[in-house]
Amino acid sequence: MTDALRLPPDLPPNLPDDQLPRVLGEALTGLYTGEPRLPARAGGRTAGLAALHAWTGEGYAGRNFLSGNVSRLSMYLRHGMLGLREVAAHARAVMRGRERDEFLRQLTWAEFYRLVLRQEGARVLGNLEDPKYPARWTDTLPDDVRGASTGLPCADAWVTHLIRDGWLHNHERLWFAAYLVHWRGVDWRAGYALFREHLLDGDIANNALSWQWVASTFSNKPYFMNQENIDRYSGGRWCRTCRAACPFRASYGELETQLFGTQP
Amino acid sequence: MTASQVRRVVWVHGDSLSVTDPALSACPDAPALFVFDRPFLQAVPVAFPRLAFMYQGVRDLAAHRPGPTELRVGAVPDELAAFAAAHHAAELHVTRNFTPDFARIVDGLRAARPDLRIIVHEPERLTSFNGPLRRFFGFWKKVEREVLHGEPAPDFPQRGHR
Repeated sequence: MTDALRLPPDLPPNLPDDQLPRVLGEALTGLYTGEPRLPARAGGRTAGLAALHAWTGEGYAGRNFLSGNVSRLSMYLRHGMLGLREVAAHARAVMRGRERDEFLRQLTWAEFYRLVLRQEGARVLGNLEDPKYPARWTDTLPDDVRGASTGLPCADAWVTHLIRDGWLHNHERLWFAAYLVHWRGVDWRAGYALFREHLLDGDIANNALSWQWVASTFSNKPYFMNQENIDRYSGGRWCRTCRAACPFRASYGELETQLFGTQP
Repeated sequence: MTASQVRRVVWVHGDSLSVTDPALSACPDAPALFVFDRPFLQAVPVAFPRLAFMYQGVRDLAAHRPGPTELRVGAVPDELAAFAAAHHAAELHVTRNFTPDFARIVDGLRAARPDLRIIVHEPERLTSFNGPLRRFFGFWKKVEREVLHGEPAPDFPQRGHR
């Protein structure tokens, strides 16, 4: 118990942002990946409240489009900087009709995943159910995926966004997860680890259970997409100029057979 | 010593980085500690911006609460035990989270400091649902009214949980 007398604390609680990367970087030497730099969005309840108060929900009906207006409040909710109840109350106050109901329904996923974690504990880090297709997954994240050098402009952009911003639109998360698990045959836990490393909202519950939802170990069927879906919801961001041999360019039926075998 | 004079400390973890956290709210004047978990971070790759985001969360609550807030780097149970001892605390307050690490740390602390009373506050919930879970759709059907309107239906506890 000699440590009890150790003073001062390891870190002052009032570092300004311009000193934060250097001082925190030194205090945490050897305990992080990448370069010491500020997050793309500032942490803290004050910043979270500002983001919440700025959120009107206008255009949320287009939430599945990358250009759609989504709240980006998840990293504040994940760390308790904002509470689910106050975000729900704000949405009830400022949003209307189906957009409000849909936002509240999406918010409820966070509560659902927390409760599944409470129910299942560390089991959420393994397959909660058998995959719904004959999956043979490898454990390791391929270097070309981690290095954003797959040659697929969309897939490389998803990884680049993840590392640069610590945040991805939900559709990008789903596409990336489906690409990694179904097209590359990688165990979802390798993707979970990459997201945990970088996502500002990365936690055990949302992260592991969303990957399991895509992998079909916590859902009734695997999630997958095709090129048409990526093109539509990205507003043609990658597809219009893409010259790569697109692995996603097929009908859903063809891809289902290719990826999962003939469905019963 | 009366209850109001019991010396308390608060453990602030990565799921409770707000002055509105139940444990912090219960003990606004008590010294609070956030620990960057050295053994965890040595074992698990985490990019720096995530840690900086959490630091900013601690900084913000430190600026908004009357009690002192400290940060340390180390093994969480050890740091909490040392922090409680340094402040001659009889109670440690914390808000529960559902991660396996939380239970492990609380158990470790209880073993290291059986004399320290650990008060676990329940986290805020969006719904009052407490039944078994399997798929979101079934869950949503049970909590839909409560979430959309902000309060449970009058007959919710009887009909909604099973």
